[in-house]
Amino acid sequence: MGMYRYILFFYIIASINIEARPISYSGGSTLMMFSDNMKDSIYYHFSPTYKYSIGIESVKDNYLNNDYSLLRATYLINRKNTQYSQRNLYINAGLSINDTSNNFYGIHGDWETRRWFVGFGFKKLNNKIIDYDQKHLQLGVAPYLGEYGDLHTWLMIKTKKNSLNDDWYTYPVLKFFKGNVLVEFGYNDETEWDAHFMYRF
Amino acid sequence: MKLIGIILFLFSSWMVASDHSHDHMDHSDMMHHSHEGHAHEELVDGEKLEVNPERFDKFVANLSNAQVAVVSVKGMVCDFCARGIEKTFEKDKNVKKIDVDLSQGKVLVAFDKGFDINFEDIKKKILANGQNATGMQVVSI
Repeated sequence: MGMYRYILFFYIIASINIEARPISYSGGSTLMMFSDNMKDSIYYHFSPTYKYSIGIESVKDNYLNNDYSLLRATYLINRKNTQYSQRNLYINAGLSINDTSNNFYGIHGDWETRRWFVGFGFKKLNNKIIDYDQKHLQLGVAPYLGEYGDLHTWLMIKTKKNSLNDDWYTYPVLKFFKGNVLVEFGYNDETEWDAHFMYRF
Repeated sequence: MKLIGIILFLFSSWMVASDHSHDHMDHSDMMHHSHEGHAHEELVDGEKLEVNPERFDKFVANLSNAQVAVVSVKGMVCDFCARGIEKTFEKDKNVKKIDVDLSQGKVLVAFDKGFDINFEDIKKKILANGQNATGMQVVSI
């Protein structure tokens, strides 16, 4: 595996968590920060309605020593609300401000109750070095059911695969949220720790 | 990179601690008021009010001359996702107070007693957060 493929591979592994909570309430906005051994990223999006969000992501690639920004959009194509569950299906896309050949598009969805979470995603990424795709599955369980305003905890397991490598990589994820703050920590033997912070305005 | 991770963790902890402290203030306020006998089980017309009694009592603890809309909501399965409901209603100057009962799928909204509560307006506000309001009961305080 060439150096660029190696770097891109770990970049892919590290970059999926930021897809969580892609749309806010109507008129709301969200700040996300993501950090790991490969990159530091800040993503801010605004939701004119609950159906879609638009935002900008600033990425500092620590290994390629490259900084760039993406214009991003997410659209909710289907949602089903029931008394005890919610199901979502989204499409999203991003385009580099400096280089339009650097872009992505994808689809992801989830189904959750207060106790269980199931999510999946597929993403096609294009750039000047190599085009590739990635997919992931995520399962989660809440060990206790907190009330509104409590500290909520999710124990999750995520598995990922991309077209650069045929192996599935599976690792545990811990998610906590309280009020407007959400934090998520994941650990993989290959990528070590990653951290995801979110604040909803 | 590790430094940023540590900063994120500390900032998150601080935010959680801030919210926790705020919760304690609310709880202290509740301690000064007894609200036994509130109609959180059955309305005057005999219809059952499905709310968490403790949460309802806490919600109405500081309210007087008010009416509470108990709104049934579908799809409200996550605290973080329900935050937008609170933020949307807080922009309405007619709303005195709001709370979310996740376990029962209810949103509690307090208005002044004389205010004409419009269910269609409430449905729009709930939908603005991506959930569906399916019914409403009103309790006078």
